Amino acid sequence: MPIEVRDLVHVYHPGTPLQTKALDGVSFEAEKGKWVAIVGHTGSGKSTLAQHLNGLLIATEGTVKVDGLSVAAGDRTLRQVRQKVGLVFQYPEQQLFEETVFKEVSFGPRNWGFTPSEIEESVEKSLSIVGIGRELYDANPFRLSGGQKRRVAIASVLASGPDYLVLDEPTAGLDAQGRENFLALLTELRSIGKGVIHITHDMDLALGFADIVLVLDSGRSVLTGPPSLILGELLEREISGLVIPDLVRFAGRLRDIGLEVPLSWDPFIIADAVGRSFKR
Amino acid sequence: MKFLNNMTLGQYVPVDSPVHAMDPRCKILATLFCLIGVFMVREPLGFALWCIFFAAVVSAAKIPVRLVLSTIRPVWILVAFTSVIHLFFTQGTPVFAWGMIRITHEGIIMAVRMGLRLMLLVMFAGMLTLTTSPTELADGLESLFSPFKRFGFPAHEMAMMMTIALRFIPTLLNETDRIMKAQIARGAELERGGPLRRLRAFVPVLVPLFVIVFQRADDLATAMEARNYTGGEGRTRMNPLEWSPRDSAALIFSLLFAIAAIALDGRFFTL
Ligand SMILES: Nc1ncnc2c1ncn2[C@@H]1O[C@H](COP(=O)(O)OP(=O)(O)O)[C@@H](O)[C@H]1O
Ligand SMILES: [Mg+2]
Repeated sequence: MPIEVRDLVHVYHPGTPLQTKALDGVSFEAEKGKWVAIVGHTGSGKSTLAQHLNGLLIATEGTVKVDGLSVAAGDRTLRQVRQKVGLVFQYPEQQLFEETVFKEVSFGPRNWGFTPSEIEESVEKSLSIVGIGRELYDANPFRLSGGQKRRVAIASVLASGPDYLVLDEPTAGLDAQGRENFLALLTELRSIGKGVIHITHDMDLALGFADIVLVLDSGRSVLTGPPSLILGELLEREISGLVIPDLVRFAGRLRDIGLEVPLSWDPFIIADAVGRSFKR
Repeated sequence: MKFLNNMTLGQYVPVDSPVHAMDPRCKILATLFCLIGVFMVREPLGFALWCIFFAAVVSAAKIPVRLVLSTIRPVWILVAFTSVIHLFFTQGTPVFAWGMIRITHEGIIMAVRMGLRLMLLVMFAGMLTLTTSPTELADGLESLFSPFKRFGFPAHEMAMMMTIALRFIPTLLNETDRIMKAQIARGAELERGGPLRRLRAFVPVLVPLFVIVFQRADDLATAMEARNYTGGEGRTRMNPLEWSPRDSAALIFSLLFAIAAIALDGRFFTL
């Protein structure tokens, strides 16, 4: 069963001068083994939406369901939901606090009441997924490099064995190589059956990797669907603050001037199509 | 879920009002007179006068009453505790007794008196920060303390430290909220068990917070040095403080009011 969000509304500080409607009727679904990208400009409500998926924020209106469990006030189910949905905040390396990498990653499993052997197993498994070797188990997390810290932080969320992983701008502040590695990691997580919910403002990443893209604009979901199906609308509608990849605009322009080119973000597909239409 | 919302203590509400427009030095001194005045009254008339004065200030400042009242929220436990202590432990004529518990006539009077006094003190201090921006407040304090510079008192440095501290309160609250959420998402239970367990549960929040605070302090120091900050010597201001005749009038009025409230306090009716 999937994550189902229906007509979600979230108001911060209701009834005060600071009242802000951060989400205004958002609906979408996410499944295990699928990659959903949530894109939108800064302040469009992405982080707010992320926090609803594991009950850190509770809907003002609308419903959020995780595998049939409704995410509403009420402690028992909330904790279950939090174990099912791992949330990786922006700059997760800032949450590190333990003396060794091993202890850091075992924090989650300990909180969920895993037995010592389960703890060891899940820590080893999640550290190996993120590519941190045994020689670092006893290292002080604060001494690691930036990229390593982030991977340890993500392992510490994976170690609780979530079915879904929500990542808020996980590639922020990484260099090109770090970003590549990271996207490979997400692809692997999807292939072992985790539901990946990837929050980003980078349309290129969303189109290139996700199965489903959800576009937010000022708290509303304005566009949902597989990348190839939303491209046309993405070009036609001006969505504020969203940068449309140059290649997609390029393909769109080629079509406008009468070449038979599919809308795509893939340079090779576009190049091949251009080549074909010139040969004719 | 709310973790750290609704903090009003030390919050500035920018509105256009005569109170906001006053010189910060005037407001600081007037607040001082009011605090002393509130401390010195003990009878109904004195408290009534201060309540009226306070209400007048609030309405002139155009601050919503709800915000003013919420300045008490962070300290209400202290207020309640003080009142209860006085209620139960003041000797005198009993009006109510049940087993060990004895409530006296004097106890009730003391409880009301202490409760009211503390609330007025907090609310007066709260009005100062509600109507004065942190920068103005720091400038005002610096100017008031500058006569002591010749005895080696670091007036400018103190003011700068205060401005920075105030400036970072909202940032730190946000960071704390974020770290708390991150740890809760990892299964931390911050709100269960006895005090010791709660304290232990907070280690995963406090350690990252310390790291962030030191990081920020370091960044800020670098940024200040890069801009050639060398302390107060020879610095000029973007908005120099300007003392107007209205400020003198307001200051003299609050001083006279405080004296009058203290003098009239026990004249007509005492408990
Ligand atoms: N804790 C908060 N209190 C009040 N308003 C908030 C809070 N967090 C976010 N907001 C507001 O909600 C809106 C959406 O913010 P956010 O979810 O952080 O967007 P994004 O992650 O897409 O940048 C913004 O207008 C922001 O100012
Ligand atoms: Mg965000």
